[in-house]
Amino acid sequence: MIKVADLKKSYQRLEVLKGISFDVKKGSVFGFIGKNGAGKTTTMNILTGLLRFESGQILINGMDFLKNKIELLKSIGYLPENPVFYEYMNAYEYLNFIGEITGLKTKKLNFDILHLLKVVNLKIQAKRRISGYSRGMKQRLALAAAIIHEPDILFLDEPASALDPEGRLEMLALLEELKRRGKTIFLSTHILNDAERVCDEVCIIEEGRILLDEKLSDLYDKYIQPVFDIEFEKELTVETEILNKLSWVESIKACGKIINLSVNNIKIGRAEILKVLSGLDNYVTSFQIRKSSLEDIFINITNQGRKVK
Amino acid sequence: MRSFRAYFKKEFKEAARNYKYLILAVGFIFWALLDPLMLKLLPLILKASLPVELLSQFTNINRDYAFLNLLKDLFQVGTLFFVFSLMGIISSEVSKKKLVLPYSRGLKPEGMVLAKYIHYAITVSIFIFAAFLTNYFYVKSLFNSGVLSIQIVLWSCFLYILYFAVILALLLYMSSLFKKSIIPGLLVLAIVYGFNFFNQLSLIRNYLPNYLILRAADLGVFFDTSLIPTFFISVFLIAIFIFLTIIRMKKIDVA
Ligand SMILES: Nc1ncnc2c1ncn2[C@@H]1O[C@H](COP(=O)(O)OP(=O)(O)O)[C@@H](O)[C@H]1O
Ligand SMILES: [Mg+2]
Repeated sequence: MIKVADLKKSYQRLEVLKGISFDVKKGSVFGFIGKNGAGKTTTMNILTGLLRFESGQILINGMDFLKNKIELLKSIGYLPENPVFYEYMNAYEYLNFIGEITGLKTKKLNFDILHLLKVVNLKIQAKRRISGYSRGMKQRLALAAAIIHEPDILFLDEPASALDPEGRLEMLALLEELKRRGKTIFLSTHILNDAERVCDEVCIIEEGRILLDEKLSDLYDKYIQPVFDIEFEKELTVETEILNKLSWVESIKACGKIINLSVNNIKIGRAEILKVLSGLDNYVTSFQIRKSSLEDIFINITNQGRKVK
Repeated sequence: MRSFRAYFKKEFKEAARNYKYLILAVGFIFWALLDPLMLKLLPLILKASLPVELLSQFTNINRDYAFLNLLKDLFQVGTLFFVFSLMGIISSEVSKKKLVLPYSRGLKPEGMVLAKYIHYAITVSIFIFAAFLTNYFYVKSLFNSGVLSIQIVLWSCFLYILYFAVILALLLYMSSLFKKSIIPGLLVLAIVYGFNFFNQLSLIRNYLPNYLILRAADLGVFFDTSLIPTFFISVFLIAIFIFLTIIRMKKIDVA
């Protein structure tokens, strides 16, 4: 759906994007993850036609973005990091203004706006001037402006980062709803918990370079700590010995009723272990694969990236 | 067209709610009301304290003098109000990132630029017209003698409106070039006042818009051929500045 190849961008002499490439699949939630200053906002401003760039290619729906910008923008919605409005307008007026620019028919627009205001939970404040809105309300209004024309692709730049916990949850719930409706979502964030919750694929950017681009599930498979924590009903007897003989077992630590078992291949390990355990006389009361979070993976990878340089 | 419509309405709301209409009204119409009154009252107030010779200057104030006084104030002070209230017309939109959402929705820059220009050109025309007309009736009732007639007032009014239309186009373009509004503001003021100097050079003055200001004060003299280049160049400048602004707004990074 979105294909970016070797995109480069500099501000004056500072090279901010050093040739990034990635692919966003239709209907997926693509997590664009990086620390502050990594180049997320710059990338999104380019992909929404707001910033020029030096070199590289952008294809959206198979069409060249630069050549078909006006056409392609019709299917794109953008929620900027710090949305700015005409603050003397109220939410209703602003959405009307944006809808008119987008070319929506007045009659349907009025109806759609009322519906949108309900969706983003701004109905009560719709006739108040935007200058009096809180950060979270502005964020929700900007989301409404971004989806007013029912775009297929959404660019959301840190939609929840600046919000309080309650606002964050509301925003995430809205994202999940959009995901359910089949939108392709390009979501930048530095909050890994949020990415973990909604993304199908993550792409880590650091200092203008892509360090990793992978499906979230593959990522877990690759970086998961290959350790099983198993607790038995009775004290251990022969179990340790039996398990130790298996070829895919790396090492075993036993203590009382508990075994910590490392494997050298998580795929085989996961497939085999339950069979083996069910053959034992001692019942298993608890079984767990030690899961590392995206946060661990992120720290791991960005550290590696630093070492490579 | 839809970008034009959306921005025309937006400019209307903005000017009304951010008191731009009020400021412009003060900048133009206020003088039309205040000037004649001052000219009428000042001699009365000063009667006691001024020597007779000086006072005689005030006593032969006629309608022409009062009207010329308005022209002078509109040029000197009206432009200040005009330029300072509109210098951010594009620069503040860009620097405060207000164009991010509209541009991401496929805003057509030509629609926005034309809407801004036409909205304020109409606004200023109305205020100038109102100022000239109120001043005329006011002056007529307060003072006697002079050649001033409604034809003269309307002719001067037309020249002023054309002049401000040129300045507005210049301001629009300058405002699209800089991020800090004060820079286009000062540049335009320097051009407005500085170019008045050329009115002393009879060979080239009618090739510059400030000649309109000179001719507006030439009461009783209407169109002559020396104005042809002035008109032509004024219209050309308006077109070229608007065109350059559109080009600029098509290329500019709004994020
Ligand atoms: N307008 C600008 N002029 C110069 N440098 C900029 C500008 N915008 C961003 N940068 C720089 O580009 C880098 C990437 O910024 P940005 O894309 O905003 O990062 P992120 O969104 O990931 O936090 C940062 O080092 C930032 O300082
Ligand atoms: Mg950012």
